Amino acid sequence: MIEKPHQALLPPGMVDLLPPEAEFEARTTERLIAAFRRNGYELIKPPLVEFEENLVTGSGAATAAQTFRLMDPDSQRMLAIRADMTLQISRIASSRLSDLPRPLRLSYAGQVLRIKSSNLRPQRQFGQVGAELIGSGAPAADVEIIIMTANSLKDLGITEISIDLGIPTLVNTICGDLGITDEVEKIALRTALNQKDAASISALNAKAASIFSVLLSAVGPVDKSLEMLKKIHLSPQAERELDHLKSVASELKNRAPEISLTVDPVEIRGYEYHSYLTFTIFSKGIRGELGRGGRYISTDSSSSDVGEMATGVTLFVDTLLNSLPNPLTTKRMFVPLGSNKEAIQKFMSEGWIAIAELVHNPNQPKEALRLGCTHILQDGELKKL
Amino acid sequence: MLANDKLIFALPKGRILRDVMSLVNKVGIEPEAAFEDGDDRRLRFATNDPNIDIIRVRSIDMGTILSFGAAHFGIAGADVLTELDSREIYAPLDLKVGFCRMVVAEPVDLASQDNPTRWSQIRVATKYPQITRRHFASRGVQAECIKLHGAIEIAPSLGLCRRIVDLVSTGETLRANGLVEVEQISVITSRLAINRTAMKTRPVEMTAWIDRFREAVDDAYS
Repeated sequence: MIEKPHQALLPPGMVDLLPPEAEFEARTTERLIAAFRRNGYELIKPPLVEFEENLVTGSGAATAAQTFRLMDPDSQRMLAIRADMTLQISRIASSRLSDLPRPLRLSYAGQVLRIKSSNLRPQRQFGQVGAELIGSGAPAADVEIIIMTANSLKDLGITEISIDLGIPTLVNTICGDLGITDEVEKIALRTALNQKDAASISALNAKAASIFSVLLSAVGPVDKSLEMLKKIHLSPQAERELDHLKSVASELKNRAPEISLTVDPVEIRGYEYHSYLTFTIFSKGIRGELGRGGRYISTDSSSSDVGEMATGVTLFVDTLLNSLPNPLTTKRMFVPLGSNKEAIQKFMSEGWIAIAELVHNPNQPKEALRLGCTHILQDGELKKL
Repeated sequence: MLANDKLIFALPKGRILRDVMSLVNKVGIEPEAAFEDGDDRRLRFATNDPNIDIIRVRSIDMGTILSFGAAHFGIAGADVLTELDSREIYAPLDLKVGFCRMVVAEPVDLASQDNPTRWSQIRVATKYPQITRRHFASRGVQAECIKLHGAIEIAPSLGLCRRIVDLVSTGETLRANGLVEVEQISVITSRLAINRTAMKTRPVEMTAWIDRFREAVDDAYS
């Protein structure tokens, strides 16, 4: 059976955003950027496409499998379309903006493209809005990012925000300390920890079982978790990683008690390139993650510098939109030909949308209703239809 | 659906259901009478706990239901969970019921002269193409999977393929169809499975349920 595809058919994972959703997306993005700006985060705009090695090496390895590539017929080099923007911000901070004083606060908003859609995200193209705080290793930097994000989400109307703190490198560090080097053993361990499978963990050798069982029982609400974490003693490196999480958690409890805070010291899912602290933002009633973020090393892949500590957040605009009621105003007024210009201006500045009459219509109220207006401008006054 | 304050607990139809009901009752969840009534066409049932509803879904759909958060928690076979391999599901507890094994099998006469270490590409009929592909890829074999939803054991005799990957418990179906097990992929049991968002946004409730199920399992095996 050969059928000519319908012209409206788009490739899988691509959508046309229509009114009012398109405007709602633009406005939501704008409000987030504005919220970040008020906290000193300045907007930068990296390009959609870069040379492949910038986007898929180093910390880009985490999204490499999700990155589209194309060959540039002009430069004859492989290009990549961004699947995530954090890398680009990190590149800019460590190259073009390397002379700006630290800590450096940057924000960004843009579309990303991914090779595979997932159950929870059928779109392959979606918007990201984020903020990065570069050049500080202090727990206060993470606290600033998390509180700013929570407040911005609250302003958008998202309630019951829940933040899960994690340390994806901790498991690896402890494995090193315990001399667990066998890859197969490590994968089995990681799988059990990711599944929260306590039985498999207690079946490990005694030393490993005792440490990982405590870590696993520390998964959950912050108070209980911090209590459990007091019970274990780790190597200095592992302690440092854990201490960072503990200070962020206690600081958040003090400064933002309204956020429901959970800790998961063993979660690795999707955080392979982060170090020390990571966090994932959920909201009760919304499926999937609203955003995620955490610490990483910001480097310029072309230099041999060790890089600088950075932390940041990325919000997923598609998930945010799905979770918000569309608050767009329906204040639409019909403006008959020859209406008073000052009156039109006055109402527009109050937020009214003006739909102008192009050709005189004998039945103006009917025409106004047909065009979706709620009011009509008559003698400098608004009349409800 | 997660917005609903009521927790939704998903149970698989069929074989596993009979095995797990005693555990479910033991943790204190008693479904309304209609749940046991084979003629009742409803799929969602109230329980003695006003905060919990039970839904009954096909075993193979359990992973999808849980990863979307259509149910907050449920019971699913390790086969279904491993096949889907979803980041959105936790499987914290082995319920130690519904034992069976996932195996590779082939016709008896082929097995007598076959040397599996020489395979580079094989064609396999299975309900579990992801597990099958991953398993063979890990030992350097490319598996071309023919997805079937049932009657897998008949595929070799019809010339669809020469090998199958399927669940066996007694091995009776394999024998009856002239097949013999050549390799075990894994041992399968039922798991308590939890949606990730539910676990993160309602940690106290979900942890309490895990603990109750753990006690019930320990009880049954002590």
